[in-house]
Amino acid sequence: MPGWQALYRELKDKNFEIISVAQDTGGAKDAGPWITAAKPEFTALVDEQQVVTQLYKMVNVPTAVWIDERGRIVRPNEVAFIDDRFKSFTGMDSAPYVAAIRDWAANGARSIYALSDEELKTRLQLSSEHADDRALADAQFALAEYLYKQNKIADAIPHFKEAQRLAPDNWNYKRQAWALSNAERDYGTTFKKEVEKLNGKPYYEPHKLPETKKPAND
Amino acid sequence: MLKYLFSAATILNAFVAGAFAAVPDSCVVIYDGVATEVAAAPAPSSDLWITIGDLTRATRFVIKTQGVCRDQLCFPLPKSRKAEFLAKQGPATWFNLSEFARLIKQPFAFDQKNNVWYFGARTAEQNAYVASLEAPNFTLPDLNGKMHSLADFRGKKVLLVTWASW
Repeated sequence: MPGWQALYRELKDKNFEIISVAQDTGGAKDAGPWITAAKPEFTALVDEQQVVTQLYKMVNVPTAVWIDERGRIVRPNEVAFIDDRFKSFTGMDSAPYVAAIRDWAANGARSIYALSDEELKTRLQLSSEHADDRALADAQFALAEYLYKQNKIADAIPHFKEAQRLAPDNWNYKRQAWALSNAERDYGTTFKKEVEKLNGKPYYEPHKLPETKKPAND
Repeated sequence: MLKYLFSAATILNAFVAGAFAAVPDSCVVIYDGVATEVAAAPAPSSDLWITIGDLTRATRFVIKTQGVCRDQLCFPLPKSRKAEFLAKQGPATWFNLSEFARLIKQPFAFDQKNNVWYFGARTAEQNAYVASLEAPNFTLPDLNGKMHSLADFRGKKVLLVTWASW
């Protein structure tokens, strides 16, 4: 988050805002200390019910969406690291993506990183594949969170599992549920074990950024 | 013989107790993210039957001649299937909310032990942004409890970025 704060300072005069949203069932109790420590000047929200994950059909964190002045999506779900702290895990260089954000902040719709409607629709349709199962998974996850908040963790677990079964590519639904109990005991697995199962397949989908950067027309 | 009678009675008792347990006094309906306690149906069912009074209280839907309506939106009930949605029992008219959810393609989840039903937004509503490209709006609190909506940022470029402590 300190990295985002620096970027925000740099770009905020370009009609540019950052909204960070913590996907944490534990709410302010879990996400609060991180936000307090980072002292962000941008908008930092807490999302106890993974509302944003559901609305945008996200599957992991950190995920960013670019939204233009008219409230339209410019780039949908993409992994968004501001620095290389997790590079050994992600195998990704954060610099090209951060450069893309700078370009968009400066050039808006003229940025080469702003996607065409056609490309956007193709990408969004991809993320809405298996939409029916995903919608059922969202309902199961929300029900599980409700039961968890009623201190009925044992009753919540079968619904967390059902959400995970229906949306097997959704790491948010896995990792949040595992974090709320003893994953090994209640789910027979851990994050580490599941990552090992990927067997070299990347945990995050790589960015699809344009190969060569052309200067935007004035 | 007596032994067999006894077993039969035990089984019958267990059945009655079981059936009894399946008909609790109330259940919880979560609709638009809001939990409402409603009266449970008088007969056991794998569907969720609630009174039309509770329907409006929990979901703001109202039964009208043209269908089941909320704000400007009306869903007509298929004429030949009316009995699957509406039933008169005792002083109340009951409505099958789970069958209605299937009709309007609304995902739901049910917890039998706690009698909680969760209803999500209609799939068509959830996927509307794929065609409109309009970023779905949300309203969430900051650490001080102040609410912020994405729509408040209209006129600016917004980088929406999620993270988690786990």
